[in-house]
Amino acid sequence: MLEWFAPQRITWLHRANPAWKGLLMFLVMLVLFFSRDLAFIVVIACWYGGFLFVFSGFARRKLLLLCLPFALTFLSSSLTLALFGKGEHVLWQWGIVKISEESVRSGLIIGMKSLAIGLVSLVLLLTTRPVLLFYALMQQFRFPARFAYSFLAALRLVPIVIEEWQTRTHALKVRGIAFSKGVKGVYERLKLYSVPLFAQSIRRAQRMAVAMEAKQFRMNQPRTYYYETSYSKIDAYLTAYVCGSLLVALLMPEPFR
Amino acid sequence: MKQWKFTDVLVTIMVGIVFGVIMKFWDDFYTLIKPILPTMRQLLYGMWFMVGPFAFLLIRKPGAALLASLAGAGLSAFIGHGVQVLMYGFVQGLMAELLFAAFRYKRYNIVVAGLAGVMSCLGSFLLDLYYGYADLEAWALVVKYGLRTISAFVFTGVFAYSIIKALEATKVTTLIRPVSPDEYKHLD
Repeated sequence: MLEWFAPQRITWLHRANPAWKGLLMFLVMLVLFFSRDLAFIVVIACWYGGFLFVFSGFARRKLLLLCLPFALTFLSSSLTLALFGKGEHVLWQWGIVKISEESVRSGLIIGMKSLAIGLVSLVLLLTTRPVLLFYALMQQFRFPARFAYSFLAALRLVPIVIEEWQTRTHALKVRGIAFSKGVKGVYERLKLYSVPLFAQSIRRAQRMAVAMEAKQFRMNQPRTYYYETSYSKIDAYLTAYVCGSLLVALLMPEPFR
Repeated sequence: MKQWKFTDVLVTIMVGIVFGVIMKFWDDFYTLIKPILPTMRQLLYGMWFMVGPFAFLLIRKPGAALLASLAGAGLSAFIGHGVQVLMYGFVQGLMAELLFAAFRYKRYNIVVAGLAGVMSCLGSFLLDLYYGYADLEAWALVVKYGLRTISAFVFTGVFAYSIIKALEATKVTTLIRPVSPDEYKHLD
């Protein structure tokens, strides 16, 4: 499964400082999040879509597959807003459904926003190894080691959690548990799954913390790092690219809007 | 007693990550019902607010809600929900945290946990307002966020509280909480 996410070739994007790349992509996401300018969002989506397909080092087929969920989000979120969104210039009305010029526009905006943010996130996720991201956060951004190592350690336990989830599903099936309907059923499901899952995870996490401290992991002491990360020329290129993309999108001439 | 130990940090983040995994499975379920039953999906939305209050009820230390919420959002972002979930995780965790702070981190009952969920819900509404999910007709807006608020209270108050109770019965909480009979009185 993880091999599937290994890139075909390593591009310059993979060699950028992970923390810096993360910060840049987060900033682009923030700008997109608060933007209401459809043209701006479309241009950004094109920039980062292109970026993804040209520089991520992944095969086109895989990238299309990875973009599929975002396309689905585009459809579902824009549809709700188009049907129930507020607006004055009504195009079509039927019962509680009211489609207006404004609601179609806000539906399009939110759909494009989800798509653009999805593409920006994929650029970061597909070219960054989580371990290196946390090492870079600690070294370049002084992110506290206790949080970074805890997160990395807990991340390693995720496969076990998923396995336990499946075991639990099988166990409940064998015991012939029938869930009630409605809210009560949701509650039963939640409780039957989460209690053993949390009990085991908490025990495991506690044991791991004790083991780490026994190996002299200290929360607030200067430390050395197994993976050393630093800035390079590539980070300057990436910064220039991101600034360029934002500027072009902002300064789009009027006829394209 | 309020001092953070490394065990607390790791357990809080672990709780956040387990919620991240549960939320992933929840999300598949949610995507399935999303187009068919728009009201039903708001009733299940409270699941997304559970992580912060749950972690606070478990660890009972300042900052637990925010940290667990961020960890859960971090996992969601890693498995491909988009970087914006970090914003939601941060704001929802922060809002829950503010409510617990208002009670000086000394109340661990159903009402306070539920209100923390309602605060998280308010946080998600504010973000939706900027993001654009809230550009709805007035009636749809009231239905959507009204149902979400109810769901927030039920999930974070009633559900999270009773799961914590069940966890206490397994004795796993004694690993991380200093035991004092006085604290148990608050629960009854």
